[in-house]
Amino acid sequence: MSTVEAPLYPIAVLIDELKNDDIQLRLNSIRRLSTIARALGEERTRSELIPFLSENNDDDDEVLLAMAEELGVFIPYVGGLEHAHVLLTPLETLCTVEETCVRDKAVESLCKIGSQMRENDLIEWLTPLVKRLAAGEWFTARVSACGLFHIAYPSAPETLKTELRSIYGQLCQDDMPMVRRSAASNLWKFAGTVESAHLKADIMQMFEDLTQDDQDTVRLLAVEGCAALGKLLEPQDCAARILPVIVIFSQRPEGYGGANAIEFPETDLLPAYVRLLRDNEAEVRIAAAGKVTKFCQILSPELAIQHILPCVKELSLDSSQHVRAALASVMMGMAPVLGKDATIEQLLPIFLSLLKDEFPDVRLNIISKLDQVNQVIGIDLLSQSLLPAIVELAEDRHWRVRLAIIEYIPLLANQLGVGFFDDKLGGLCMQWLQDKVYSIRDAAANNLKRLAEEFGPDWAMQHIIPQVCPIILTIDLLHPKSKNLCSLGVLSAQVLEIANDSHYLHRMTLLRAISLLGPVMGSEITCSKLLPVVVNASNDRVPNIKFNVAKVLQSLISVVDQSVVEKTIRPCLVELSEDPDVDVRYFAVQGLQSIDQVTMSS
Amino acid sequence: MSDLDRQIEQLKKCEPLKESEVKALCLKAMEILVEESNVQRVDAPVTICGDIHGQFYDMKELFKVGGDCPKTNYLFLGDFVDRGFYSVETFLLLLALKVRYPDRITLIRGNHESRQITQVYGFYDECLRKYGSVNVWRYCTEIFDYLRMYKLSRTAAVARGSDVSVLSSGNIVTFYRVCFILLSALIENKIFSVHGGLSPAISTLDQIRTIDRKQEVPHDGAMCDLLWSDPEDIVDGWGLSPRGAGFLFGGSVVTSFNHTNNIDYICRAHQLVMEGYKWMFNNQIVTVWSAPNYCYRCGNVAAILELDENLNKQFRVFDAAPQESRGTPAKKPAPDYFL
Repeated sequence: MSTVEAPLYPIAVLIDELKNDDIQLRLNSIRRLSTIARALGEERTRSELIPFLSENNDDDDEVLLAMAEELGVFIPYVGGLEHAHVLLTPLETLCTVEETCVRDKAVESLCKIGSQMRENDLIEWLTPLVKRLAAGEWFTARVSACGLFHIAYPSAPETLKTELRSIYGQLCQDDMPMVRRSAASNLWKFAGTVESAHLKADIMQMFEDLTQDDQDTVRLLAVEGCAALGKLLEPQDCAARILPVIVIFSQRPEGYGGANAIEFPETDLLPAYVRLLRDNEAEVRIAAAGKVTKFCQILSPELAIQHILPCVKELSLDSSQHVRAALASVMMGMAPVLGKDATIEQLLPIFLSLLKDEFPDVRLNIISKLDQVNQVIGIDLLSQSLLPAIVELAEDRHWRVRLAIIEYIPLLANQLGVGFFDDKLGGLCMQWLQDKVYSIRDAAANNLKRLAEEFGPDWAMQHIIPQVCPIILTIDLLHPKSKNLCSLGVLSAQVLEIANDSHYLHRMTLLRAISLLGPVMGSEITCSKLLPVVVNASNDRVPNIKFNVAKVLQSLISVVDQSVVEKTIRPCLVELSEDPDVDVRYFAVQGLQSIDQVTMSS
Repeated sequence: MSDLDRQIEQLKKCEPLKESEVKALCLKAMEILVEESNVQRVDAPVTICGDIHGQFYDMKELFKVGGDCPKTNYLFLGDFVDRGFYSVETFLLLLALKVRYPDRITLIRGNHESRQITQVYGFYDECLRKYGSVNVWRYCTEIFDYLRMYKLSRTAAVARGSDVSVLSSGNIVTFYRVCFILLSALIENKIFSVHGGLSPAISTLDQIRTIDRKQEVPHDGAMCDLLWSDPEDIVDGWGLSPRGAGFLFGGSVVTSFNHTNNIDYICRAHQLVMEGYKWMFNNQIVTVWSAPNYCYRCGNVAAILELDENLNKQFRVFDAAPQESRGTPAKKPAPDYFL
């Protein structure tokens, strides 16, 4: 006896603990429910444990959740499929509790069990359960019921099927929005089990009702099932009944897979979409505006010009800045659809007005798509019509807009070519070096490097170096050879301005530009033009300049010859390494150490 | 890359340090800060910043506009912590920069750098939430009003003079050595910087130098006033402050303080100004506020004051960091810290 009872003793404890006051102990016990069941045997599990669990209305959600989960895999412990129905009782109770995650888990477990149960058992046990829940007084039962129809329906006889469909229809119109939400999100599962004749009649009616629900969350959940629902329908039906809804909700058309390939009845779609573009709700217009390019791609150019373009014009003047921003981010994609003429005549004016929008996000979104315009209207027209706007934006009061323009400059330079660039944009690039905002100055220095890469060292030598190395230039201006530089009257005035610039942060930017240009310009120019400026700056009175000189010198070690390092860089760093300022000394020593490393390795 | 440089990089990504790293960082910070005086001399050029209040991503925006430390020199006028979601990361980044580049950044104490205030306005809870214990809060508040036990020999104590007060006698004695965060800064002898404002107990800078700052912010007296007072147009002389600590002071007080101490103007923080900065009393005092969209809801812009090497002034106004550069928002913001 004792040998048999010994392993049972811990089981007794577990059973005891199912009733314990301590939640943690109850939880532990529930998690080991299968162990208890195995010890009790199938018979006693059915006759004692399951009824106990059915009556045991624990008030702790965590315990209930664990129980709902355990019961889902309990079929083997109650004696296999023929007894599976005993598990339905405790799960039915769990389907009605207030905590959502417990109910969801219970429904999930019921589905798991139901999908294994025999057809007769389903009719005898599960279908009545679904009907009971659907008629439940408290909304929690009805919410849970919605998730069970797709299990109960397939095996039901014809009359019962009709009844189930009508019950589901009622749930779709339940007074409580929570129930309608559940009906909406489970509709596609249920639809998958319904015969195609009823699908078109009953289910689509429910779908259409739900998509017109007065609660937006219900509508949204209904639409989320579109893709699954679409696959169940014939292509024609799909296009006729699902697509308008999708368009109405501005969901992505590619969401419903294969049906996409068919020709849409444009006549139906277009008015719906146009209505959305003019919806009273700004949120709807934002979503619709964001799809304008995608939608145009499925239309012929004529229809797009005739119907969509007027809306786009309206939206560009929308009172909501977010609508305008959404439009700005996609509208240039319409250009290839509309073709060159319509783009220039109609799209470009809208584009230009958005480029001057008072809301920075709108301007930013437009700028980031400039390259799409180039491709359609060509560079000549771009330079005529867009450049003035770009020049204006280069001085935008919002620094992130200026940053976006700077980042676009190398691409623009590439497309415009040297000549044009010099005339219009060269001055701007220098102006940014003295911007009020550090990030702009930093980007401006980087920009010079990218321009030097784009146009080559010769160009940079003529247009950039004289300006970032002002001290050299002020001397050089007196030299007859420099007359051609002086002829760029505007530039030389700016140069002198920078040379006299007293602000240490601006001088720092020039140093930064020099360190970036060095590797691009090559050893010779670095030695003759850049290095002297850097060495000169080591006498600056601001320590910040001095330790940045040390950093720049360190970065130039790999650019110039060993002899120059020894002759120019090392002495300068040695001097800095004796500076009173600790940071200057630190970075000078770092520089000297990397010279030593280079020397050692070579 | 040294540990400290690595920690700075980590903090710049808004990832807090390990508890042991915070402890080591605070110890190093104390060694530096103890050498600084109540009225710390600061050289131009320097960029002056007002309240930050744990708005980490907005402080990053500040650095994007003003430049990174150490390229740009900074003076922060206090109130690094409380109210925002990232007091821990904000304060630790500033402290790490202070330890790494002591000559490039100066931190002075605000009224929120206090044990009492941080327990009410969020820093304490944030430390507890992020570390599961209050140790980090303890290390940081020791930096605020450093009251640390040091075991030093008597000779060392004598050498350190007034920095050290003797608590017990014997060969090895225990000292409370005091530090910290500064009460005020003086830029090129011309611009006096303090978190709150002036005090009726103080008419000269030398009087501030004698304040014993080895303490939690007291409820009244000179030290409390420096951290709590506000300038006020309609007050003539001194008035009672609605804050319950410090005073309101009028234009005549500022004129006489500036004249006595031969300074050009006072730069302070402490009060939200919607435009980011605000001059008062005929340009004798300026308020600088560096927490844009304060408490994530006030809709104000922020400003920093850039002084170049010739003390030319340039205010740089900036907005809150855009949503996409803010990282993931805290899951459960505690609304009771807000206005």
